[in-house]
Amino acid sequence: MSIERIDPELCTGCGICVNSCPMDVIRMDEEGEKAIIKYPEDCMCCDYCEYDCPVDAIYVSPEKYAPLMISWC
Amino acid sequence: MLKESWPTFQDLVAWNVEFPVEIDKMNDYERVTYSKKYQPAFLAPPFGKLPLRHRKTAPVLRKQAEKAGAKIMDRITVTDLLKQDGQVVGAIGFPAESYDLYIFKAKATVISGGNSCFRSPGYHTSMLTGDADGMAYRAGAEITGKEFPDTHFNLANYPAWKSNAELYPAYFYFTDAEGKYIEHSGMDLSMAFTVHAGKGPVLYDLDAATPEDVASMQEYIRKRANPVEVERIGLDVSRGGKYQVIGGSAAGYSDPQTSGIWVIDTKGTTSLPGLYAAGDCCGTRACGAIHTAGGWGLAGAAVTGKRAGAGAAEYALQAEKPVIDEEELARLKKIVYVPAERKGGFSPRWVTQLLQNTMTPYFILYIKHGERLQAALTIVEFLRDHLVPKLMVKDAHELRLAHETKNMVFNAEMMLRSSLFRTESRGVHYREDYPRRDDPPWLAWTKIKEEQGRMKLLKEPVPKEWWPDLSKPYKERYDLRFPGESVE
Repeated sequence: MSIERIDPELCTGCGICVNSCPMDVIRMDEEGEKAIIKYPEDCMCCDYCEYDCPVDAIYVSPEKYAPLMISWC
Repeated sequence: MLKESWPTFQDLVAWNVEFPVEIDKMNDYERVTYSKKYQPAFLAPPFGKLPLRHRKTAPVLRKQAEKAGAKIMDRITVTDLLKQDGQVVGAIGFPAESYDLYIFKAKATVISGGNSCFRSPGYHTSMLTGDADGMAYRAGAEITGKEFPDTHFNLANYPAWKSNAELYPAYFYFTDAEGKYIEHSGMDLSMAFTVHAGKGPVLYDLDAATPEDVASMQEYIRKRANPVEVERIGLDVSRGGKYQVIGGSAAGYSDPQTSGIWVIDTKGTTSLPGLYAAGDCCGTRACGAIHTAGGWGLAGAAVTGKRAGAGAAEYALQAEKPVIDEEELARLKKIVYVPAERKGGFSPRWVTQLLQNTMTPYFILYIKHGERLQAALTIVEFLRDHLVPKLMVKDAHELRLAHETKNMVFNAEMMLRSSLFRTESRGVHYREDYPRRDDPPWLAWTKIKEEQGRMKLLKEPVPKEWWPDLSKPYKERYDLRFPGESVE
């Protein structure tokens, strides 16, 4: 499922992953303390967030699923 | 381009960018390629030698820019260029997290919005949605080379994961369903030809690797690739195996700098006063009709960035202070927020999916025929005229998606129209109904320009000094063959 988790116990809230993500998938939580996965469907599995995270709090899975084709949306 | 990439690379070295490869210690052959057996001249030095996950350049470049007095603003989606009296005088956009409007006024503007794709999986280009081409075209610039698609592929088991891209510069060995080696000349259409002939699936055949090949791959993974990328999908090159390969990993993407904004000199000057182009969106035509070598995009970006920066600075020194036309600003501002103001309409993600389904099949994008191109164009025109104007969003993140979707649809139209216009085959542009190069009529570049609200196609002849030797028989002039091509 592409980006799978950001471990809240490990995340220090540095925000590096927010800037690393070219797809704007990650945001800071409302308190601005922890990074959260806000738009997982737009993750492109580039792995930059995981690569850049200084405390290894992020895991990106190699799996990604496309939505079903439907008549309108 | 190659010549100037070396001193540009040395700039990075002088600024203390850390590189895991010792470029200076390589001999000339190693500078060119890792894979001695299958892929001569695959990697363009020196940028082709960098790890695919090299993340240490950008922070250094940012520091250098800030040291020179630049103010960097991140996470802003630029939607359109601003014009006044025929000159580009800046751009407008909005930030990732709100509907605020940002207006950038500039004596000179460098556009470096990257290449294009249809959010295709596996090559990590989903953020490159043809925005630069779209903005420049709408402002009146010319766009070139859209008929030459990129042909990246990936492993079928994890199509979104950049996995075999980590390996194929070290081992480029693919077979068809009958186990026959697929003859190729780099990033060409050979896999699409195989599939079209009913000889798929294409297989990445590690069983055919010699111990030397395996050692070469292992060295490559260690030095240039990210081992995690390979390990996470359970790929152990020493175990061998046959892995099915899928196409379209960068559908919508074009060969770096073959396509993009037409530039009229080596300073990145476009046909629009005040606008300079750099990077993948800079249509230098240096790459030609087929992908030249790995690392080419990065080398080209480094060189054109340096050149365009200097060109824009020169222009800015003599330019008047920019004045923004309030009427034009109001018009563009309205366009920015239309999707946010709609109460009903269509989701950008769904329209993108429709576009992917229309454009990605191999028989549209790679194996072309006039009838199929026209059919796809009919659908794309419908998306453009009926769905894109009714895109609807619920926040700033989706507003970005809406603008990107608009530009992807626009990019698809340009690709289809350029492909229809070039009535021949050349490089990675293959027309079943015109399976032969047409010299000299098509020793020419295509250009697209807006005229009365429509795309006008133009032909720009390649200078005669760059022509092939036309006194040679066709068969000798070109050694890459197309299916159905007559060589007499």
